[in-house]
Amino acid sequence: MTNADRSVELAKQVKFVILDIHGILTDNTLYYTDDGIKSECFSLVDRIGCKALMEAGIGVSFLTSKVSRAMDVIGEIYEVPKELRWGTGAKIAKLDEYQKETGLKDEDFCYVGDEMIDLGVMSRVGFPVAPSDGAPEAKDVSAHITRAAGGKGVVRELAEFILKAQGKWEAVVEKLS
Amino acid sequence: MAFEKDQARAMEKARRVKLFAHDVHGVLTPNTLYCDVEGRKRFGFWHVDGFGDLSLKMNGIQVIFLDSTSVGDEGFFRAKELKMDKTYFKVKDKAARLDELRREHDLDAADTAYIGCEITDLAVMQAAGFTAATADAVDEVKAAADWITKAPGGRGPIREICEFILRAQGSWDDWVVKVTQMGYK
Repeated sequence: MTNADRSVELAKQVKFVILDIHGILTDNTLYYTDDGIKSECFSLVDRIGCKALMEAGIGVSFLTSKVSRAMDVIGEIYEVPKELRWGTGAKIAKLDEYQKETGLKDEDFCYVGDEMIDLGVMSRVGFPVAPSDGAPEAKDVSAHITRAAGGKGVVRELAEFILKAQGKWEAVVEKLS
Repeated sequence: MAFEKDQARAMEKARRVKLFAHDVHGVLTPNTLYCDVEGRKRFGFWHVDGFGDLSLKMNGIQVIFLDSTSVGDEGFFRAKELKMDKTYFKVKDKAARLDELRREHDLDAADTAYIGCEITDLAVMQAAGFTAATADAVDEVKAAADWITKAPGGRGPIREICEFILRAQGSWDDWVVKVTQMGYK
């Protein structure tokens, strides 16, 4: 089995997608205004990605160690429920807790991460994914690397990949068009 | 994927256009959302696209914002700045709305145009006459479109497609002269 075939096989199992925010939903750049307000840059196409996954019955959550109001604003826009916007540095403990709550297993999860802090969760889940501009360490442990860089449509691309692997893409296109 | 489009055929279809509709995000913006840590949002629009819409209006073609994906009032503010007469935001069924609008003006489907970028545009593109896709549109939209702009979303696709339509209708050169006399830039 080639690596590409293997990632399709792993994507078939996915029931829940956990998204790191910085470097995945954002382009890793912090914009500062003159009065010192930090901004980050998100991609609206990822909203379609989240929506497509949820339409197909796949859960989506945010998991970040740096919490700001931006997470809630983006959560509202991407329609990720409030209780699934997780702000904690203890990413593995959060995964354990959610598995206990839902009965989902490691292989049911996709985690998208780009940095060393994500390695613990990435080596646990069934389908770890990194963006094209992720850290080499994150790319090494991932089963799939998106063509998109962070903040440039990673989730849109990944949603299409997972849903195509699961044979659900066409139905979702039909529903969203 | 590369998509070959027949320019003569696209121009033939563009010749009929009397009503042009477009979305906000992915076309007028590059789909980028800046959100500061206090939760304030910012969107970037391409200045010169406003000139494209104006050019159509001044040449008797109706321009309509027909949007399904705006987040807040960003599209409304942009439309206000451009003095658009007809704007529809957060529309669930754009295809049905376009049908309604053209009937109000006694137009055929072939008299309408739409430019899109996402799978959420596929249905309305079927309801429109002349259709275009942005350079960074998804493959499904590019495959469905009559023409693909060189510009990606938020980098001038409206300016480009408006020129395409006016050239197809033979009114571009006169318009350039008129604009020059008006002193526009």
